[in-house]
Amino acid sequence: MAKTILTVDDSGSLRQMVAFSLKAAGYDVVQAVDGQDGLNKAKEKTVDLVLTDQNMPVMDGLTLITNLRTLASYQKVPILMLTTESSDEMKAKGKAAGANGWLVKPFDPKRLIEVVQKVIGA
Amino acid sequence: MKTLPIEELRELLAAVSRHGDWHLLEIETDLQQTTFLLNEAIEKLSASFMTVYAQLLEQQSALKLLADAGKLQPEEMQQLRVFQDNIGQEVNKVVTGMQFQDMTNQLLQRTINRVNGLKELLHELSSHQFPMAAEDEHEEIRNFIMQLNQNFDQGSQHLTGNLRKSVNQQDLATGDIDLF
Repeated sequence: MAKTILTVDDSGSLRQMVAFSLKAAGYDVVQAVDGQDGLNKAKEKTVDLVLTDQNMPVMDGLTLITNLRTLASYQKVPILMLTTESSDEMKAKGKAAGANGWLVKPFDPKRLIEVVQKVIGA
Repeated sequence: MKTLPIEELRELLAAVSRHGDWHLLEIETDLQQTTFLLNEAIEKLSASFMTVYAQLLEQQSALKLLADAGKLQPEEMQQLRVFQDNIGQEVNKVVTGMQFQDMTNQLLQRTINRVNGLKELLHELSSHQFPMAAEDEHEEIRNFIMQLNQNFDQGSQHLTGNLRKSVNQQDLATGDIDLF
């Protein structure tokens, strides 16, 4: 059974490229348009990995991670940030909030899949 | 020492505000139009890309059927594998390149927000209504300008504080990956 990845980004084109890359590698993908939408979808179904942007309207990525980590079902689910933010300060905030990794945009599909496979397997 | 008549000063500041506002409105309109065009372009490019990719997969399936049926020579199959690898590499490049819109959108939105903030700052020039006594005109104008300057500084700092730059990429080279 294919593993499910929740991808959260307010950019439609970015979500489409992420979903395209992940589906081509055999993963199921659930998409959310901002942190709040991501939190709602994460509660509907526990996914195997969350891949979230940082800067989004309504709820940003760090707040989403903080909220997810309060849920029992998301204590150990890997969460990766995929964002334009590249400062050490932001990475430290992400780590403190409970992120397991930080990917700076733009991503290379091959490298993205390698990271995802390393984190949750094929 | 001769001083500026206060009403003329008010008119001058109002004119600066009016002209500035008009130019900033033009900038904002152009930026909104650019955003709209980029959004439409990326939608069409994405849709075409997905269609081309789906057709490529169909084509590869058809070729695999031919290969499985023994209708292709070994050298032809080798050539097809090379084509497939090349296509895969180019698809990855397209996926990386298509991410430009996420970054340009953030930069355009930041610019639009700055333009709007600047419009509000300029509005300060025309909306200030200090009461001024004619006999102390020089001192009053001095205070008026100092107050304006102070408001500009505060407004500018507030604006900058709300416009933290989140996109520092200078090209579309792929970004770093850190696993914690």
